[in-house]
Amino acid sequence: MPTSRPAPFFQRMDWLLFAVMLALAVTSVCFIYSASYRGPGQPMPAFYRQQMIWFGAGLAVYVAVMAVDYRRICQWATVWYVLAVLSLVLVLIIGVQVYGARRWLGWGRLGIQPAELAKLAVIVTLAYYLFHRTPEQRQDWKTVLAPMIVTGVPLLLILVEPDLGSALTLVPILFAMLFMAGARVKHLLLAVLLGLCLTPVAWWQMKTYQRQRLAVFLNPNRDPLGAGWNLNQSLIAVGSGGVTGKGFLQGTQNSLGYLPRTVAPNDFLFSVIAEEKGFVGAACVVGLYAVLLGRGLRIAANARDRLGMLLATGIVAMLFFHVFVNIGMTIGLMPVTGVPLPLLSYGGSFALVSMTALGLLQNIWIHRRNY
Amino acid sequence: MEVAPRMSFLMTTGDIPFRLRVFSGIVAAGFLLLLLALFRTQVINAEMYGTREQAQSLRRIRLPSARGDILDRHGVLLANNRPSYDVVIYLDQLRISKRQDIYRVASSNLAVLAEAMKLPVTLAERDIRTHYHKRRPLPLTVWRDLPPPTQALFAERAAQLPAIELIATPIRQYPNGALAAHLLGFAGQAEQPDDEEGDEFYYYQADTAGKQGIEKTCDEALRGAPGGRTIRVNPSGRSVGEVGYKPAERGDRVTLTIDANIQRIVENALDHAPLPGGAELRAAAVVLDPRTGEVLAMASRPTFDPNLFTPGAPAAEVGLVLRNPASPLLNRATGARYAPGSTFKPVTLLAALDSGAVRAGDTSVCKGSLQIGNRSFGCWNRHGHGRVDAATAIRWSCDVWFYEKGMATKVDAIARTAKDFGLGQPSGYDGGGELAGLVPTPAWKQAHYGERWWDADTAQLSIGQSFLLTTPLQMACLCAALANGGKVWKPFVIRRIATAEGVIVSETKPELRRRISSPHFEFARQTMLATVQATDGTGQRAAVPGVSVAGKTGTAEADIRVDGAVRRIKRVWFIGFAPYEAPRVAVAVLLEQGDSGGHTAAPVVGQIFAGIFGKPTARAERGGVHAD
Repeated sequence: MPTSRPAPFFQRMDWLLFAVMLALAVTSVCFIYSASYRGPGQPMPAFYRQQMIWFGAGLAVYVAVMAVDYRRICQWATVWYVLAVLSLVLVLIIGVQVYGARRWLGWGRLGIQPAELAKLAVIVTLAYYLFHRTPEQRQDWKTVLAPMIVTGVPLLLILVEPDLGSALTLVPILFAMLFMAGARVKHLLLAVLLGLCLTPVAWWQMKTYQRQRLAVFLNPNRDPLGAGWNLNQSLIAVGSGGVTGKGFLQGTQNSLGYLPRTVAPNDFLFSVIAEEKGFVGAACVVGLYAVLLGRGLRIAANARDRLGMLLATGIVAMLFFHVFVNIGMTIGLMPVTGVPLPLLSYGGSFALVSMTALGLLQNIWIHRRNY
Repeated sequence: MEVAPRMSFLMTTGDIPFRLRVFSGIVAAGFLLLLLALFRTQVINAEMYGTREQAQSLRRIRLPSARGDILDRHGVLLANNRPSYDVVIYLDQLRISKRQDIYRVASSNLAVLAEAMKLPVTLAERDIRTHYHKRRPLPLTVWRDLPPPTQALFAERAAQLPAIELIATPIRQYPNGALAAHLLGFAGQAEQPDDEEGDEFYYYQADTAGKQGIEKTCDEALRGAPGGRTIRVNPSGRSVGEVGYKPAERGDRVTLTIDANIQRIVENALDHAPLPGGAELRAAAVVLDPRTGEVLAMASRPTFDPNLFTPGAPAAEVGLVLRNPASPLLNRATGARYAPGSTFKPVTLLAALDSGAVRAGDTSVCKGSLQIGNRSFGCWNRHGHGRVDAATAIRWSCDVWFYEKGMATKVDAIARTAKDFGLGQPSGYDGGGELAGLVPTPAWKQAHYGERWWDADTAQLSIGQSFLLTTPLQMACLCAALANGGKVWKPFVIRRIATAEGVIVSETKPELRRRISSPHFEFARQTMLATVQATDGTGQRAAVPGVSVAGKTGTAEADIRVDGAVRRIKRVWFIGFAPYEAPRVAVAVLLEQGDSGGHTAAPVVGQIFAGIFGKPTARAERGGVHAD
């Protein structure tokens, strides 16, 4: 079927999806401001302005990604994948060491985390690979194995950095895409079983702080002044926010530093929002994500081809994992890991990745079935 | 080409692959779970987390209140507060990095100041560390009570040292120094109570607590109500702002019945007592208003300066007072017991006459001693008084007459009259620290010594010796009752308690403990008047020209231990009242060591009356007098 272009892409794009993205970005800047606010007369850290710059850059990428047909982008999957793996190797060699982990490429504030970019590369590569399997091949266990290897290489490289949170993000992406590609549930369950068998190995491989975090997750009252500090303070922040919250810039947990300043603007930004805006604000944020991902699923359902559907599924899986793990972490539903909240947490790499991913979703929608 | 699917808000209905429905279901379930968990945390458990948030970031600091003033009956300040300018350091405001040590940073800051003010830093390393860990948001006092020149030196440097401040704290002050020290007592730092107040305040700052005298008995009123400050602290315990503030309520004002002027006269008179050579001044005096029982003055010697016990006083000086073998803190007017000696004789006289066993005209012949059983009991006058009747027995203080008539009266009647006068029991004095004294009886002796009561004991009791013990306050009450014809008042010193704004909280009304009715009061009073006024009376040295002073001398022998050896000394007394016709003042004076009541104690009382009634003392004009 020849592709006809009856209208320019901005007329065909999903404006609600775009509006939600902007709403989240504005919320992000506001609460990064609040999270780094230290009281009247105190110098204001520039985090929120940096984040605005990142969002500006993200918007540019967003428009660029929308403009090029996603099928064309996916044709370059191998290149994206090789570039991602190379950057992951590179970061281990020349990466900037922060808190004992090599996660950053670049200089000063212009750092990029290859692990975040790798998530997108894996989604594109898996979509492209699975798209090209015949219906018979998709039933084959080899079709399950190959994506596992494709995912496994960057996953292991990210684990070496180490960055457990980012590495784990690849797992739900992989499973969601395999599932949507039509892999046999039996094979998937077998893989899950295999993964469970590897748990002791994982425990053995874990760093001490990671083990402590898990122990604290299982028992939040363990070591509340040490390993359990962040979780406990986040719970107090969220809980003491109550129904309506303490008001913008009034979150004492954050401004007094009980919620450490090093984590409040990024991993625990949701706690700041929940404290200052209460259940109402927190539920609104969750609602925004629900709309965002609901639109993503709608796009998957209306994709022109399986490639678009798989791509959309991978993106929704990635974003969902981030949202669920991050918010779950702030209220003790999930263990503490450094998984940022898409579009909200302070940080450039994931802001770029999130907006690129949303640009891809728009792209799939623009080229949807009935156009 | 199939029909275009219908669009809904979020999803396309129809034509959705099954697996996409499953995937969407998982995502939806995830969001629902998040919402439920948020609801649990922020709505159901909000209060619990709110409490935890406050518990970790809010601190209550107790603010001690300023003690109320103590005034004399005319409004003269006896105790109040003055500002003490203290240099304090806020350890939480010192900017220190993780690697720096709080003690080093604090002491280097203080060293700069110490050099400028030329004062040594007396804080120990341990003080600073303990304060830093336990009471971080509170100021730590470095120097107390700076004199103005040093304050000026501080002001020059203060701007460079932001964590250090000069603050004024109320400090207890006794403007008249040692005046009425025993009566007022003193205030020290209160101990933290064990009750819930200790938990309620995270940071407890102690009040001053009365430790003795009025400061102690009126402590509750004087203390006032503590205030509180609620502050927010950050995780390192540094105060970041005030959330709530309730000022402390100043303590109530206590007005005493004391007359500062009379008090000064009394203390001056005690200090100038004509002591025998080598005797230390250990004495007490009580002045009562016999019409009401009000304490007009109360003094004890040796004395102390209550200003010494303010916080931060040099420990060495305090130790000197506390270890002094003369016990200067002891209020001898209420807290020490002595045999009253002959000042008890008016009681025996009344008991004898009231019992009917003796009449005023009954005489004895005093040959200087009396044989009772196989022992001889002497009169203070070894030469003998000759023929003595009731009137001369008091005037000359003849022991033999009292031996004989006392034995005739019997111990029970004497003891009963003594108790009627309030001896042997606390008077109910509201100033505290009171001893009961002792009126011996045969039953008491049997119980304590396992011995029967002999006639000799009655004889001894009749002249105020044997086991009889009284406090100067009790003797003053007795004197007042003799003066007013039998009204035994409950002595009191707290006249009124009012709030700092002047609202009266309580006011003391005179309280009659007992009314002794006896037809012989007037006779007893006359004999006491003669004791002072007659040329052959033993109490002449208490006389004041133009004032009709009545009184009774007393001398009681006591054995004391000095450096392991037993020494016999004379406790000397004088009780007196004036004016005779309508007594307004009743006095009891005791000196632990003197020649005789007439020589040593009577002049003191004379001086007191002279002072009170504004007359020169007659002491210098008088020649030799009879003693006792």
